[in-house]
Amino acid sequence: MRYIQRQSAFARGLHWIHTIACLSLFATGLMLFIPQVAGAVGVATLNGARLVHRVMAAIFIGAPILGIIINPKGFKHFWKSMVFKWDDDDKEFTKKFFPYLLFGAKQHMPPQREQKSGQVVADGAIVIFSILISLTGIVLVWPATFGGAGSAMWTWSLLLHDVSMVLLSVLLIAHIYIGAGIFKPYRGMGRLMFGDGKVSETDALYHWGTWAKEELRKGDKVTTA
Amino acid sequence: MAETAIKYDSSKCTACKGCQVACKQWNQLPSPLLAEEYEFTKSFQSPLDLSPNTWLIINFSEVKQDIGIDWNFMRNSCFHCTEAACEMACPVGAISHKDNGAVVIDEEKCIGCRYCVASCPFSVPRWDEARNKTFKCWQCFDRTSAGRAPACVSTCPTGALEFGDRDEMVAAAKERVAELKAAGFTKAELYGETELGGLHTIVVAHRGLDAHGLKRDPKIGVTEFWQLLKPLGGIAAAATVGGLGFSFLMSAKYKRGEFTYDEATDTVVEKEVEK
Repeated sequence: MRYIQRQSAFARGLHWIHTIACLSLFATGLMLFIPQVAGAVGVATLNGARLVHRVMAAIFIGAPILGIIINPKGFKHFWKSMVFKWDDDDKEFTKKFFPYLLFGAKQHMPPQREQKSGQVVADGAIVIFSILISLTGIVLVWPATFGGAGSAMWTWSLLLHDVSMVLLSVLLIAHIYIGAGIFKPYRGMGRLMFGDGKVSETDALYHWGTWAKEELRKGDKVTTA
Repeated sequence: MAETAIKYDSSKCTACKGCQVACKQWNQLPSPLLAEEYEFTKSFQSPLDLSPNTWLIINFSEVKQDIGIDWNFMRNSCFHCTEAACEMACPVGAISHKDNGAVVIDEEKCIGCRYCVASCPFSVPRWDEARNKTFKCWQCFDRTSAGRAPACVSTCPTGALEFGDRDEMVAAAKERVAELKAAGFTKAELYGETELGGLHTIVVAHRGLDAHGLKRDPKIGVTEFWQLLKPLGGIAAAATVGGLGFSFLMSAKYKRGEFTYDEATDTVVEKEVEK
């Protein structure tokens, strides 16, 4: 059995850091978002959660920026893989994906490049809302710099911060379901970010047919174990 | 305890600022002691805005006329709304209504999230960064619960401020508006009877609401949005989990063969896997 090294140790490390930051931000943010939870945990816990939220927010924003600075080539590669002209296969994939996801993966899906077209849409949305939640979070933490607490900019930031949180929650639930391989056709995918970053030849050909063939032909990322 | 209210009559107010001073004294709210601490704006209004340590100011709207100016004063402080957006928005229950209608912040419970700051249609609650808490007028509940008038009312020398049973205050305000209209102030209006379920500060605006900077038909807009967003967010998350649960069950019997790629012929071969 052959394997393709799909994710580098650097990318996996960054993903680990972001996973921890993201889950912590979600948990601590939710405490404030749901009044029943806020009431149940009490003021002392909420004040602690506020501190954790800010520390984790700094990591959430700082880690990818640092990642780009340390490994610009990796970012360039990621960016290139995300931005491409959609062909008929991509359009067909997007059209078929929801029936595929909901009704037991009975559809035959067209071959895909390094990033599936559905992946580009979902991950792109996650990136956009992550940037939005980060920028609005900065305004919320330093209100004096942005017209003060209660200014129009600050109030809009609070609203957009909450809206982004709701949308990111929905996107991330789906991201975890698919990415961690809870969805049966994606079983084993958790290894990509939480394991050694390798994908088996059979999984690679099934999920990213066009990309897998290219990599298997080149051979520089192919191993047998 | 019956519902009570402060009545402010702009036609009787001389903007002496005694109420501002009394508020600061009773509630022990410090003022800046340094010279030129406040920006000079050519207005007699001072300070320019509410703050964590200034819970009441008299707003000056100085409107130039052919001869002199019109002084359109307005008491700027918490209106103690019945439908209080701040109370609805507070996630920790730090803001509550007292039996007499006063809306108060429990400083012990306040976590400084500033949802109340964002939600108040009158921009009244003010957040203190150093203490990470929000502050506003509490209608001197310590005084009113002991049968006394709020500090601002007790010091007013002209009778512009009165305190008492809310129904009586509304009735007196209506009577005063009629008197003012008869005296030539045709735009005189009453504010607070029905706004946001009824305010606990009733205003007689002798030159009309707009002249005194009062918001017509104030809404709890931002709070309404949150009240919609929170259940909608829950429904969206539950629908996603439900949909993916369905997907999980539907894919339980999913299986596929093993794929291998033959570079020489550029073909993908699928081999069935026995289980």
